[in-house]
Amino acid sequence: MTTRLASARAGLLLFLCSSCRPAPGDGPATVVFPSSTLGAEGAVLKQQLARFARERPDIRVVQRSTPDAADQRHQLYVQWLNAHAGEPDILQLDAIWTPEFAAAEWILPLDRFRPATDSFFPSTITADTWKGRLFAMPWFVDVGMLYWRTDLMPAAPVTLHELERTAAALKSEGKVRYGFVYQGARYEGLVTVFAEFLGAHGGSILDGGRVTVASPAGVAALTAMRDEIYRQGVVPPVVLTWHEEEARFAFQNGDAAFMRNWPYAYALMNDSATSRVAGHYAVAPMPAAAGGRPTAALGGAQLAINANSAHPDAAWAVIEYLTRPEQMLERARVVGQFPTRRTLYDDPRLEQELEVPVDEARAVVERAVPRPVTPLYSELSEILQVQLHRVLTRQAEPGPALGLAATAMQKLLDRAGLGAGAGVASR
Amino acid sequence: MRGWERGRALPRGDPGYGVERREARLAWWMVSPAVAAIALVALFPLAWTVWESFHQHDLRMPWLGRPFIGLDNYVEAAGDPRFWAAMGHTLFFAVVSVSVELILGTFLALAMNRAFRGRALMRASILVPWAMPTVVSGLLWKFMFDGDAGIANAALVKAGVFDQPVVWFIHTGLAWVPVILADVWKTTPFVALLLLAGLQNIDASLYEAARIDGASAWRQFRFVTLPLLRPAMMVALIFRTLDAFRVFDLIYVMTGGGPGTSTEPIALYTFNSLLQYLRFGYGSALSVIVFAVTFALALLYIRFLGAGLTETRT
Repeated sequence: MTTRLASARAGLLLFLCSSCRPAPGDGPATVVFPSSTLGAEGAVLKQQLARFARERPDIRVVQRSTPDAADQRHQLYVQWLNAHAGEPDILQLDAIWTPEFAAAEWILPLDRFRPATDSFFPSTITADTWKGRLFAMPWFVDVGMLYWRTDLMPAAPVTLHELERTAAALKSEGKVRYGFVYQGARYEGLVTVFAEFLGAHGGSILDGGRVTVASPAGVAALTAMRDEIYRQGVVPPVVLTWHEEEARFAFQNGDAAFMRNWPYAYALMNDSATSRVAGHYAVAPMPAAAGGRPTAALGGAQLAINANSAHPDAAWAVIEYLTRPEQMLERARVVGQFPTRRTLYDDPRLEQELEVPVDEARAVVERAVPRPVTPLYSELSEILQVQLHRVLTRQAEPGPALGLAATAMQKLLDRAGLGAGAGVASR
Repeated sequence: MRGWERGRALPRGDPGYGVERREARLAWWMVSPAVAAIALVALFPLAWTVWESFHQHDLRMPWLGRPFIGLDNYVEAAGDPRFWAAMGHTLFFAVVSVSVELILGTFLALAMNRAFRGRALMRASILVPWAMPTVVSGLLWKFMFDGDAGIANAALVKAGVFDQPVVWFIHTGLAWVPVILADVWKTTPFVALLLLAGLQNIDASLYEAARIDGASAWRQFRFVTLPLLRPAMMVALIFRTLDAFRVFDLIYVMTGGGPGTSTEPIALYTFNSLLQYLRFGYGSALSVIVFAVTFALALLYIRFLGAGLTETRT
């Protein structure tokens, strides 16, 4: 509720400030950039923008704080962009929003600036591409990783089966309270975990305009998740109420042998004052099952330009600056965020800056797959969240529940004109 | 009471006719600012919502435009299992929580109605839960019923009710327990105070007469207290049912409607459709349905209970 209030306040602030903004024309071009202004992340951005101001005195960047919760930020953006507001000029997007904003023509295609994309991870570029055009620049990358305890086992499990066996053994020996923990509350986090189990079983959520989640691989993946909770007992049912932080608390208290989480947790858990596992964990890709491959859900932040911006060139200059290798290295050092430029992982400087060993990081990022690239992603995910949660709380069986989800998702795609039959129908 | 106050005009020949006309005009002038304010803040948004509900308007699919689709959103709601489930959850929540609150509230009111030392303090302190913001009390109860570290689990395991901690919020049935407890805890004082006012209106001589006739305490309660308390109970019932039907904040912070959508009330589903999924047309249709149901409930209460209510009051 407080965050909702905060977003309302942010909206009001924007409204007030847009009316007191000096008239454009003379003086520096002003670009408005809403971003996190909190903590280390806010501080490092402030420094980088200060350096940018010295390099480009003709551009003035105004930072504006927005809610950190993704859902609320999304809601705010959609309301602004629907109203064709010219501000903010630069938008920080979640990996899954780019197609939505591109299809709505709320953000500018970037080809006119001829961005060099060769040095980026291809998956990050794919996630920011809609209908063959690039709409956002990958800023930093988030990937789902398996955290494992180096003091309890010699190596990370390679298969899901091995993970379950190790977790069960450690739990029955009383070395840990839980085997494996993740984010299982009914929200986007659950879909990312499921996407990783799904990839591990060789399945996918979408194939073009066709929903494929109710395939045998999908059913197998969801059945595996359910059985880990109720049959093998390696995942505690309480994860079904957890977000990222609850999982991290359990792992850093030494309660769990394995955890699925994002890179942010790495540096936080290495502080021996608050963490019981400091120095006793490492990261690896999420393991695969038969018929699939290790999969990491791709997240992270992208920078895009508001289609109604009065200063797209100035906005691009800011984006170009912030996505330079040097700035990415600095973010890696200060906030532990993984760079989106693949070439940096061969750079000896990254080894010094990043707390996660670079080889471990690269291994995970290279297995990262974007969640379905579609403008309807969030709606599809919401449908899926409900059915996944119903199965994991034993209100439904995997097959029928995924069938229900698939039907609803397909109906939505068809209604929006993005379904598999849409192309044929319009001809 | 003058004729025009009842909405019935006096016959033209009545000597009071001209005065009344003037008074009526003046009255209209005096209430016109209030009527204008109500029109602006209540009627206009309502009309706008109804109009919006006849359109397909998905903020996240701007390429579809905002076509007029007549009653399609209502047809969709009629065939939407999540909508019907939400209506069912709302009904369940309203019936259970309001019944418990009414029963507990009656006991509390009876206790407070007795003369004892510190009664004033007791009456003031009983209102503390009512004064607390719903979101705060919701979070409080949520923490108490937390799956891992909640005090409720610790107590129940110690008392031997459970062998091991229960994750309340992942069971379709158990998830209601903390929700309803929180609502009962918060609103029983309100019901109790309303009933206390009702109790104090009862003439003490009636009890005296009953005692002389040899009525037991139970018979006194059954045949004196309860019938005379009925108007106050009705007021409490109206307030509480209408509130319970629109329950939102408590469930929003406690379960978010989960597990799955098994505790999602209609107000939360409407909120999600409108502000989370940004389906303005469909969300508006749901809002209109909620409005219609609450309005019908209120009319029903006023029609069947309001009459008796004013009779016994005056």
